[in-house]
Amino acid sequence: MSKLQKWFLVIFVLGSSWISPLVNSATLVVSVVDDNDKKVRDAVVYAEAVKSEQVVDAENKKSIIDQRDKEFIEYVTPVRLGTAVYFPNNDNIRHHVYSFSPAKKFEIPLYAGTPADPIVFDKPGVAVLGCNIHDWMSAYVFVSKTPYFLVTDADGRATIKNLPSGDYDVQVWHPKLKGSGKATNQRISVGKDGSISLSFVVKLKRLWSPRRAPAMSVGGY
Amino acid sequence: MQFHSFQTRLLVFVLGLLVLVQSSVFFAVNKANINNARVQIDEALEITAGVFKKSINDRTQRLLEKARLLSGDFAFKQAYATSEHGTILSALENHRIRIGSDWMMLISLTNNVIADTLHPDLHGVTFSLPELIKNVMESEYGETSSIEFVDGIPYQMVVVPLFTPDPSAWIIIGFVIDATFAAELQELTKSHVSIVSGRPGDSLSLVASTLANNLQTTLSNTLSAVSWEINKSIPLRMDSADYVSLVTPLWNDKDNSIIAVLQRSLDEAMQPYMRLQVILIVIFVSGLALSLVGGVLIARTVTRPVQILARHAHKIEEGDYTHYVAIKQKDELGELAESFNYMVKGLAERDRVRNLLGKVVSPAIAEELLSKEIKLGGEEREVTILFSDIRNFTTLSERQSPQRLLTLLNTYLTKIGEVVEANGGVVDKYIGDALMALFGAPLNHDDDATRAVNTAMGMHKTLGGLNVDFEQQGLPKLNIGIGINTSVVVVGNMGSNTRLNYTVIGDGVNLASRLEGLTKKYGVGVIVSESTKADTAGFLFRELDRVYVKGKTEAHTIFEPVAKEGELGHADLEALDRYHEALKQYREQNWDLARKHFLALQAKSPGDKIYQIYLGRIEKFIKAPPGSEWDGTFTHNEK
Ligand SMILES: [Cu+2]
Repeated sequence: MSKLQKWFLVIFVLGSSWISPLVNSATLVVSVVDDNDKKVRDAVVYAEAVKSEQVVDAENKKSIIDQRDKEFIEYVTPVRLGTAVYFPNNDNIRHHVYSFSPAKKFEIPLYAGTPADPIVFDKPGVAVLGCNIHDWMSAYVFVSKTPYFLVTDADGRATIKNLPSGDYDVQVWHPKLKGSGKATNQRISVGKDGSISLSFVVKLKRLWSPRRAPAMSVGGY
Repeated sequence: MQFHSFQTRLLVFVLGLLVLVQSSVFFAVNKANINNARVQIDEALEITAGVFKKSINDRTQRLLEKARLLSGDFAFKQAYATSEHGTILSALENHRIRIGSDWMMLISLTNNVIADTLHPDLHGVTFSLPELIKNVMESEYGETSSIEFVDGIPYQMVVVPLFTPDPSAWIIIGFVIDATFAAELQELTKSHVSIVSGRPGDSLSLVASTLANNLQTTLSNTLSAVSWEINKSIPLRMDSADYVSLVTPLWNDKDNSIIAVLQRSLDEAMQPYMRLQVILIVIFVSGLALSLVGGVLIARTVTRPVQILARHAHKIEEGDYTHYVAIKQKDELGELAESFNYMVKGLAERDRVRNLLGKVVSPAIAEELLSKEIKLGGEEREVTILFSDIRNFTTLSERQSPQRLLTLLNTYLTKIGEVVEANGGVVDKYIGDALMALFGAPLNHDDDATRAVNTAMGMHKTLGGLNVDFEQQGLPKLNIGIGINTSVVVVGNMGSNTRLNYTVIGDGVNLASRLEGLTKKYGVGVIVSESTKADTAGFLFRELDRVYVKGKTEAHTIFEPVAKEGELGHADLEALDRYHEALKQYREQNWDLARKHFLALQAKSPGDKIYQIYLGRIEKFIKAPPGSEWDGTFTHNEK
């Protein structure tokens, strides 16, 4: 995880705890492994309240998907519905970001620097991002309806803090996930302060991707 | 023509040997070459199979590269994102034309047809080759290739994912396998390429081939009939031409249902070896020709001088010594020619000597002298010696000129000499008008005595004829006496070392001479000794007397050959018997009886001197009887 993203996450977490400081809240500790007992990183863990009363409040929510060394950073970015995502280009060449996904179809033709207008992800779902001129570049934007979500780290762990009391459906999504996220559903009940541990075993599929062009002697990095 | 045959033999040998050696070499090399060629063709074909396989793989790689280009094409992705069938199909068709493929398809990840350039209306239905999708799902990079039949036509096809940027569909690109395909592979493999569908043992059907049309049907029929294995070369005979063939899978699928037959014409592959064969034959034939020419030339250097020598030898046989052999070779034959010339010279010399010698001595003696090593001394041999002499020659010579006399003498001696030689005798020497002849030396016969007596009779007969001639020429008639004795004498070369004379010496010679001398006294032509008579066969003899020859103490009975047996008439035989009876009575001193007989005989042939002689003696003995001691021997006191 980049420092920037961690910093954003901290703000998010702090923000949500600030919304209902007097309500009981728990910490959800999730670990995700595949069927080979291998820790799965880049899995989005999200908890949706069974009685959905949450207001969609995406005002002023912003996110960044960086392009560095002809790769998207991060590979998987979960955002709250309505979030405006910026695509700053840190390479000295142009990129051409696109998505044909139903969740968000867009295209930012060849550009350098940071485009003035961000892309607002206003439909829940997954947008697969590619770059027209670099076939191997791909990234995923997970547009979440619920504010309670996180991406697993290298250890396959995600810790969602300050989950208010109530019943939640906790699910996992991953780019290579076989089948839909709903199949992973685990319902939890948050009553008093404390910590809930959940572990997911997911089936991953093979996902072919175009091979990255070998490094060239000029230009590039 | 033995020389010719020598040349022939030499040539036959040399050429035969050459043919044997050359043909052995030729057949060995040729066989090795052909075997080698077959092995090389087999190996070459196996290598070709490798090249073929690599060519197919390269082709697949190229197709995959083309497919990958498309799978990353953004415009196509945009077209795909429209989800409009018409747009997607036309974009697909556009790309198909761009990369020059025969067929393109887009299949969804759930195995449904999205678009198909061969069947524009087809979409939304399950794809007909689920195996292909299964294979690609199991592949490492989401790519696969295969050969599949679509509408009965085989296509080489590749499958790649459409990345948007995640795999969202399968792009299938197909290239038809046809004559062009086969031709491309033929260019790479330098072999005939035929694509055949079917499994070993099945009836096969030809898909495409670089073979001529008539051979194409032959191939599938031939291949169906024989048993073959994958990647094992087999000889196939198609339309009376041999092809080394190798079956290789066109694609490494499970059941080898589509195969490639690689073929090379054996004749074409054998061409370099055939050229070698021609070279071998040329070498063989020219070697043979050179050997023939060389053999003839070498043989000629032998046969021609030999022919010349043979021709000259033939001339020498005919007595022509005037030619010399001109062979100027510096080899054995040159030496032979030189020796031959020396020999001719020697022979000519010897012949001259022989001719001269034959004139001086009798040819037989000359022969004897030439045939043996001449040395002094002689050997003891029984020889019959004949002496002949002309009576009253002294008186005769006084009446004639010496020239006429010599002519007369030469004619006479030549003639009687011929009689001697005709009877196998040898004229030893002429002593004035006398002639001494030998029978039994140097050449001897079983009947030398008979030959001598025969000679004597013949000489008298010859003389009779000569005398007629002499009379006609006004020359005097000759009268001869002949004495013959047979005795062991010494024969050989006598004289000095530098001058030799072949002759005989001994008492026997003298006796013959004395007997000759007695002929005049007894009035007979020939007197032979007792020993000669004993050795003579076929003659009737008249015993003339028993005498002491002058200077001899031994008594000799002397005889006159009268005639050949059976030649005498009855009267003559009776007279001969009566004579011998008279002689008997005479020796027994019955003088009256003896006289009576002699008188009777004399009355019949008054000219016979012998009767006169005995009648004279009887008269004397009657007056003065010889006494009882007398043995009938008469002693001649004068010559
Ligand atoms: Cu790019």
